[in-house]
Amino acid sequence: METLMNILREIDDSIDYEKEQALIDDRLLDSFGVITLVAELEDAFDISIEASEMVPENFNSAGAIYKMVCRLQEN
Amino acid sequence: MSYDSLLYVALFLPLCLAAYRFAPEGWRRRVLLAAGYVFFWMLSGKLLIYLLGTTLLVHCVGIWLGWLKSEEKAAAAGVRGSERKAVKAAYQKQSRQVLMLGTAILLGILAWLKYYNFFAENMSGVLEAFHLPFTLEEKSLIMPVGISFYTLQAVGYMADVYWGKIKAETSLEKTALFLAFFPQIMEGPISRYTDVADTLFAEKPLELSNIQNGYIRILWGLFKKKIVADRLAVPVAMVFDHYTSYSGVVTAVAAVAYTVQLYMEFSGCMDIIIGSGELFGIRLPENFRQPFCAKNAAEFWRRWHITLGVWFKTYIFYPVSMSGIVKKWNQYGRKRLGRYVTMLGTSAMALLPVWLCNGLWHGARWSYIFYGLYYFTLILLGIAVQPARDRILTACRIREDSRVWRRIQITKTWVIIFVGELFFRADGFRAGLYMFRSIFEDFRIRQLWDGTLLGLGLQKSDIAAVIAGCIVAALAGMIKERGVNIRERLGESRLPVRWCAYYALILAVIIFAAYGDGYQKVDLIYAGF
Repeated sequence: METLMNILREIDDSIDYEKEQALIDDRLLDSFGVITLVAELEDAFDISIEASEMVPENFNSAGAIYKMVCRLQEN
Repeated sequence: MSYDSLLYVALFLPLCLAAYRFAPEGWRRRVLLAAGYVFFWMLSGKLLIYLLGTTLLVHCVGIWLGWLKSEEKAAAAGVRGSERKAVKAAYQKQSRQVLMLGTAILLGILAWLKYYNFFAENMSGVLEAFHLPFTLEEKSLIMPVGISFYTLQAVGYMADVYWGKIKAETSLEKTALFLAFFPQIMEGPISRYTDVADTLFAEKPLELSNIQNGYIRILWGLFKKKIVADRLAVPVAMVFDHYTSYSGVVTAVAAVAYTVQLYMEFSGCMDIIIGSGELFGIRLPENFRQPFCAKNAAEFWRRWHITLGVWFKTYIFYPVSMSGIVKKWNQYGRKRLGRYVTMLGTSAMALLPVWLCNGLWHGARWSYIFYGLYYFTLILLGIAVQPARDRILTACRIREDSRVWRRIQITKTWVIIFVGELFFRADGFRAGLYMFRSIFEDFRIRQLWDGTLLGLGLQKSDIAAVIAGCIVAALAGMIKERGVNIRERLGESRLPVRWCAYYALILAVIIFAAYGDGYQKVDLIYAGF
């Protein structure tokens, strides 16, 4: 989780990722932010994120992102 | 028979409702499917074969993809580590090939019917320019109605099965109904399977409240189409068909009038379509959300033809963004070129195919390609100037959410929309360029009130009906923008108030609609795409 938080803070350090639950719905993370995040996650966690994962539920909070990463690692 | 015709509203729909009502248990879905094929047959005759072929193909591809998914699961269950990854990769490769095959066939048919002549015409021009002794003959190709809509819906379904977002549909009847539900055959909305499956296949019994709500929504659609859009079609056609005879204020008014006509017609038609679904308790996705309240071009496209935008975002923007080349650029750029340049490059790479496809989807014309690239440029420009814009706003202490700033942004967006629609409606790219230039020639503002506009085919009473219709639609839009559901509110109001409103709507459509002598039937614009 710490690695994920560091990646998120590097993308935008003005967001409180511990509290925020609507990163996508409230447009705090834009398309470019998500694409950058995906590239970083793939490198850091050795996973492959497909276009099908690009749904708000997977990116709305740090917890949701972490859950997706764990699921893809298990696969 | 189009959705705004008396035949559809007063005969076809009641007949379908009656057949649905008296159909035995388990046959309601078949009634809807039969109605879809009858409707399609009435519009496109033997071309129904295209829809049937698409249905069969999509159903088989879905089952094939589903079978590969279950095989992959079984094969990967017994292995671990790198071997598991290899097994999954092999199955995913096969699935991708199946998806590509299905998509290529469907898009190939669409490309052949819709774009062949455009390709042949331009290719022949190129060959002639190089003095080569070849020409490509143009062919007489007839497109079945709604092919641009149901093809996208079919491709979306196959991609969703491939991605594992939905399970492959095993009932051919359900797949067929998903593609041939009669209200959405002509103009969409382009539904995703998950949007409609639960209500479309539920075979709910008819309910009085659904019929009442559905017909109110249909009447509201007729109000927009018949009172405003059909009237505006007259001056719009006059100016756009004889564009060299007009300039200045008149051309500008024609661009605005066409935008209003297009909105009233397309959104009105969506009201009729969504209302038709509601009669049977079927929920179709919304296609408009007060587009003229948008603060920029990107937001406008999140509010206008929403299902097309969502389709392009899901099946083009994200796959391109996730592609190897964009990821590599992103990694390279962030290390060497900085965040700003990388962001612009990434946005350009992901947005260009989206907007090219958007332009081409509307038709095989250079003016449509220009229309797509126009929005691509504006949205990219918006991303490029955002950091500078934010700094200026902070320095000038202007709050983004202030009422004045919001109004300035909305007005700017209106200008962007009007210019875009001018090129969209113009008879070719050159005509659009001519009309755009001519706005700045001989611009006399007094032509707005000196009677010049009365020479465009509308009487004073028509102009009054259009203005009144626009005011009512704008007020309804403003109320909806505040999160109020007008139909629900009306439903909760006292009986006299409720029925006064319903009768006012019915009488407005009967009395003020553009019927009778002097009016010609106006074809649905989006049915032509």
